[in-house]
Amino acid sequence: MKYALYLGCTVQAEQFGYEASVRAVLPSFGVELVDMQGTSCCGYPSHSSVNLQAWLYLSARNMAIAEQMGLTLFPLCNGCHLSFVETKHALDENPRLKRKINKVLRNEGLVYTGGGELIHILELLHDAVGKEAIQRAVKNKLTGLKFAAHPGCHAIRPSMLGRPDDAENPQKLDDLIRWLGAESMDYPGKIDCCGSSLAATAGKAVMEIAGDKLLAVKKHGFDGLVTTCPFCFKIFDNRQRAIQATLGEKSLEVPIFYYTQLLGAAMGIGEERLGLELNQSQVDPVISHVYGGK
Amino acid sequence: MRMNAEVCDQCGECPSACPVSDKIKDFNPRRLIAKVSLGRIDELLNSEAIWTCTACLKCKERCPESISPYDVILELRRLAIREGRNYPAGIVEAAKSVEETGVIQQPQAMRTRSRGRKDRSSLGLPPAEKPHDLKKFAEALKEISK
Repeated sequence: MKYALYLGCTVQAEQFGYEASVRAVLPSFGVELVDMQGTSCCGYPSHSSVNLQAWLYLSARNMAIAEQMGLTLFPLCNGCHLSFVETKHALDENPRLKRKINKVLRNEGLVYTGGGELIHILELLHDAVGKEAIQRAVKNKLTGLKFAAHPGCHAIRPSMLGRPDDAENPQKLDDLIRWLGAESMDYPGKIDCCGSSLAATAGKAVMEIAGDKLLAVKKHGFDGLVTTCPFCFKIFDNRQRAIQATLGEKSLEVPIFYYTQLLGAAMGIGEERLGLELNQSQVDPVISHVYGGK
Repeated sequence: MRMNAEVCDQCGECPSACPVSDKIKDFNPRRLIAKVSLGRIDELLNSEAIWTCTACLKCKERCPESISPYDVILELRRLAIREGRNYPAGIVEAAKSVEETGVIQQPQAMRTRSRGRKDRSSLGLPPAEKPHDLKKFAEALKEISK
């Protein structure tokens, strides 16, 4: 299994715990990650609200680089993944625009055929690596811990474009959590938004939207929330203090993890290689539980 | 856009699914679609409402008429920018950053829980990627944006 690793703006600029843990865990499953050269933003959300053709061009350009490498494109971010899927759909429907985009791509020696493959991290872990390999890799079983799965909006909607998991009843991330020996179950608001894309324009509303989710997670007795989306992580983890302040809930502590961080810890990989020191939420009790093997 | 909005039954699936309608009173995708179908586009282009969607896509998922208030909102945003209406500065800043540097944000040194700082190199991560020829990249974006 060999993939073209596409980081996207948010992961490569700041969400190092995600990238580090992905690089630390996947090779153990025979997954070879090849770094892409000359990539740019996927166009979402930089151009999706500004100029349609520029948005589709940016996504097509990155897909063309993966095509040139002859590898399946593997973006880490839910937003980038959906942007690639939307672009492919739009250009399949509009051959004229596809020709126009290719005319401009030619300046950089690139061609977008639309024939390249794309994979989401949930598909890679759940469907390609699979239950048996993951269970076999677990050294520290996460027994006695219960995690809320938060797949994130763009991993599950819109179903009409084909997403990695079901729009109304996503279960892949729950399965992945269970394969580590922990519990996972549905909770109210599981498929709800984190609010992150409003961070710049309606800060208070974002904190309230994200706060509703954290309150539900807390109320239902979870030991933490697990996601694979950098935007969601940024809000739930990096901004958890601000959420507490907005809601006036100082004791609202919810440890937040990237799934690959939990997987790595369960595999016995050292926490520094998983970027766990960068999580801002109170993850220490869970981490000691996992490494202590209690 | 208007044709699409005209098939709306005003059933209310979209505001009941919308995470923002619950928090910001002025934002209601059902009412927004009603305005589009009545041709009140100009009013929408000047409203803050079109900038307060989180892009969660629940309205698109659940609309029984496949209207997708989300896509209508994106279309309205692009129209508002093209016409030079009021829009949040952050929107065009992100686009400008991509045009100049290839990415929305530059790599930072991130805070650790123990109040240290870590950047890509101290974590052993390879240098961040960007287009090799930024001038050519910017020209291409300009060309395709026409």
